Amino acid sequence: MKDALLLAMILLSAAAGSLNAQGEEIELRVMVTEPTFEAYDAFLKCGHDFEAAHPGVTVKFISEAGGGDTLTKLKIMLAARQPLDVVWIDIIDFSQFLDDNVLLDLQPYFDADPTWNREDYFEAPLRAFSDREGHLYGLPSTFTPYVMYYNKDILDEAGIAHPVQGWTWSDLRAACLEVTKDLDGDGTVDQWGISVTQWLQAIAPWIWQNGGRFMNEAMTRCTLDEPAAKEAIRFIERLLHVDRVATSDATFQAQFTEGLFQAGKVAFYGPVGYWETYRFKKITAFEWDVAPLPMNKTAATSIACRSYVVCRNSAHPRLAYEFVRALAGEELERVLARIGNGVPGLKKAAFSEDFLKLGVPPESENVFLDVIDHARFQPVFANWRDIERRVQDELEACFLLRTISADEACARMTAKANAFLKQTVKDRARPPVSFRAAGTFVFLGLGLLVGLFFWRRGPRPSRLRRREERQAALVLAPWGIGFVFLILCAMIVSFLVSMTIWSPIRPVDDARWAGLDNYYRLATSGVFWKSLFVTAAYAIPAVVFGLGVALFLACLLNKAIRGISIFRTVFFIPAIISPVAIGVIWVWMFNLDNPSSGLVNQMLALIGIDGPDWKNSQLWLLTVFILLGVWGIGFQMVVFLAGLQGINRDLYDAARVDGAPGWRQFVHITVPQLTPVIVFNMIIGIINAFQFFAQPYIMTQGGPGSNSLFLVLYIFREAFRMNHMGYASALAWVLFAILLVLTVLILRSSRSWAHYEGGEA
Amino acid sequence: MRGRWQWVTWALLAVCGVVFITPFVWMVETSLNYESPGMDGQEGLLGNYTLAMERMGDFGRLVFNTTFLTVASIVFQIFTCSLAGYAFARLHFRGRDFLFILVLATMMLPMQVTVIPQFVLFQSLGWVDTFLPILVPALLGGNPFFIFLFRQFFLTIPKEVVEVARLDGCGTFGIYWRIMLPLARPAIGAVAIFTFLMVWNDLWWPLIYLNSPENATLTLALAGFARSFRVAIDLLMAAAVIVIIPCIVVYFAAQKYFIRGISLTGGKG
Repeated sequence: MKDALLLAMILLSAAAGSLNAQGEEIELRVMVTEPTFEAYDAFLKCGHDFEAAHPGVTVKFISEAGGGDTLTKLKIMLAARQPLDVVWIDIIDFSQFLDDNVLLDLQPYFDADPTWNREDYFEAPLRAFSDREGHLYGLPSTFTPYVMYYNKDILDEAGIAHPVQGWTWSDLRAACLEVTKDLDGDGTVDQWGISVTQWLQAIAPWIWQNGGRFMNEAMTRCTLDEPAAKEAIRFIERLLHVDRVATSDATFQAQFTEGLFQAGKVAFYGPVGYWETYRFKKITAFEWDVAPLPMNKTAATSIACRSYVVCRNSAHPRLAYEFVRALAGEELERVLARIGNGVPGLKKAAFSEDFLKLGVPPESENVFLDVIDHARFQPVFANWRDIERRVQDELEACFLLRTISADEACARMTAKANAFLKQTVKDRARPPVSFRAAGTFVFLGLGLLVGLFFWRRGPRPSRLRRREERQAALVLAPWGIGFVFLILCAMIVSFLVSMTIWSPIRPVDDARWAGLDNYYRLATSGVFWKSLFVTAAYAIPAVVFGLGVALFLACLLNKAIRGISIFRTVFFIPAIISPVAIGVIWVWMFNLDNPSSGLVNQMLALIGIDGPDWKNSQLWLLTVFILLGVWGIGFQMVVFLAGLQGINRDLYDAARVDGAPGWRQFVHITVPQLTPVIVFNMIIGIINAFQFFAQPYIMTQGGPGSNSLFLVLYIFREAFRMNHMGYASALAWVLFAILLVLTVLILRSSRSWAHYEGGEA
Repeated sequence: MRGRWQWVTWALLAVCGVVFITPFVWMVETSLNYESPGMDGQEGLLGNYTLAMERMGDFGRLVFNTTFLTVASIVFQIFTCSLAGYAFARLHFRGRDFLFILVLATMMLPMQVTVIPQFVLFQSLGWVDTFLPILVPALLGGNPFFIFLFRQFFLTIPKEVVEVARLDGCGTFGIYWRIMLPLARPAIGAVAIFTFLMVWNDLWWPLIYLNSPENATLTLALAGFARSFRVAIDLLMAAAVIVIIPCIVVYFAAQKYFIRGISLTGGKG
């Protein structure tokens, strides 16, 4: 079967090749993205120019939605072997894609191309997209080394020299101590030294500058517990919590709120990349510039980079290569340089007017070019995202939550990373999945389900009843057909997958059999239990308060008073705003990274309450999400409203004749009559609350320190970021089991408390 | 007495309403605050909106695609889910409770782990980059949420009504068509509105299954426009407002229907 498929594929590609020779229409399928739509226009133009230069070729840009969603779509397409030619990936994902063998080695094409000159591009981004043998897999769009931004005005006022190449950690610390002060004399500090960035790519330079390293040479052991690395983490910890000259508002998610640097309240901001110049163009209140990172034992910086690559299953590799050359060519590179979202990988564009932009801040744009020589990469290593996640959690616990010290953080992240590495080695030695066994398993599972169904069916009924059963089968047919073919199949496959180790971008016959190991692994994983706790601690209050508020509002909205239709709309609006917009709105209202300037804390200050630090405390962070859940109860409210309006008015009229007061009518008529709707809202509410995903994904991405790692977010991350589809499926089935038990319990118990006018449940 | 209570209700609604609407107001305000350092930006209060409309390409096509998907989904969902809900509420057959748990169970497995098998299935049918992966599951299968909703509403219809109809000679389908559906109008209204909002607002399924620009929906086209949300919140908010304005209008217009629902459910209203 597998061989037949392979043969068919070879024949198909051969057929495609011959079509090519006959001058037939060829479609080049491209999925690229850039953070600005101006750049997208340039992509389209590049495509049109390419079509003009290659008659018979159409360049098809596949719909995408920017950033993270595009990566998810890319992985789904790769998993299903959808034809794709040119795509765009981040350096963080490169090693994973390389290891899973989905990228085409472009080195032979470069070697055969007389117009190719490696010298035209910066070496750093090229090295970033090469494998260990030095074969090049892609060409950069833009990249950026990490630098330090600084507020010129604050430094000038304090009489501190502007930082230049060669400045050191102690210069930085001295300057920070100097400028950190209470300007208005109200007893709290209002000008700080540095907003220190909190994600791993930004923290890496400190470790390297101190002579530390992430992994040993052989890439077999994490070495973050070595003294050099520990000392670097301790240095940041000291700036934050001992000297108190650093602020922790510069998390990755903070990039859509106004930070302290933009407010002119902090002297340094970094290490961070070129993209911030795009946001900081709006700053008019003070002057700012960029400088190389301060050095310690040595100078070092990290690099963020995105490149165009060719998929291995491309049907037209030669054309795809040529299109990569066009995308990374001078015209597009100059447009990207002008937009200013990164440093162009092509030297000619980087040294041009388009990039250096005289007269537009930052004045020292050349710093980005100067520091490239010190740039290093995170290890080229398939499971880098896994290591990164484990390290990040502990760093957040130290820097943001302050629950552990720097030394403890180093010890813990090293131990976790090494345990993971050991597990990976073991996983590679596992046997491949036997598809005969898997097939048997599927049939057994289906048999079990059918058996269960017949067992539960009970004895053969009377003829009249049998007629009703036949009619019921007919009535249920549209649901049943869809259930078996569209839903059940996918569910069974995912259950099978939960017993394998499988990266979704590899062919499925590459999956390795793991039995119940994924389940054992999650049961013994601290992250799973933490995630379950976070989910339950959110879901229970969110469902209870959500039901209460929804019912309360529905009762108020069930009155015939002036403007009622406007009110009904107002309370419903939150339920229909897109999750991305909601996430951004809530981050802004609470200003998670800098709470005192958020709307909520400003309101609280008006009535004399000192608002909490919403993000860096488990309790308050969950409160934010619970409020968010209760705020979006529009759907439940409408269901209650529809239920209220279905209640027979005669019941109220009778009660009124009997002289029952309003609250008694509510308790004795409204609530009992509404119980079917309450059962419904409760079950749906629980299912939705346990599957809470989109907003935390935008707002916190599970952090800090897994404090908002809701189960489905965890599942998503394992499935589509770490590529552990097997483990993710096991997690999903545990969630499934929890929800099933809860639902059955509620349905069973509702028979004794829910009132059905139709007389049965 | 009545007048005073009305005032209290009104005041309560107004206070809660302000809390609920503030984030939306900020959203609209931000969207009007044109500040993107674009290369050839539009100026003025509605700059972001003009820009969005210009950049969306074939606006008519997008509206047509989105409307087609939405309307077809509404019809399919009401058809499939009301039938299934009727069976689970009022018909007697062996294994009913077990099957009903199965209906609910399909909601409990996060789609993150079933999306790939489902994608492979639709791909092998040649349905990728067509509307079928969005429409067929609405017709075959339906949304368990709506099946459940219909079941709950059908359960509240008094037994006597059904018995009278049966005595009048109505069969299983007659009762569904002449008694159940007319009485469940508020539920049908709710399902229609919910389906409208879900399909109209949805980004995930169009993103996964639709590849060609000529098949794109409004949300998909706008996601491309607002892709830069980390650097330009105003664009993101403008895009979000464009998508939800039709939703608000439809909801506002359709809610009168819920109110009319009262007089149709047999009470005096």
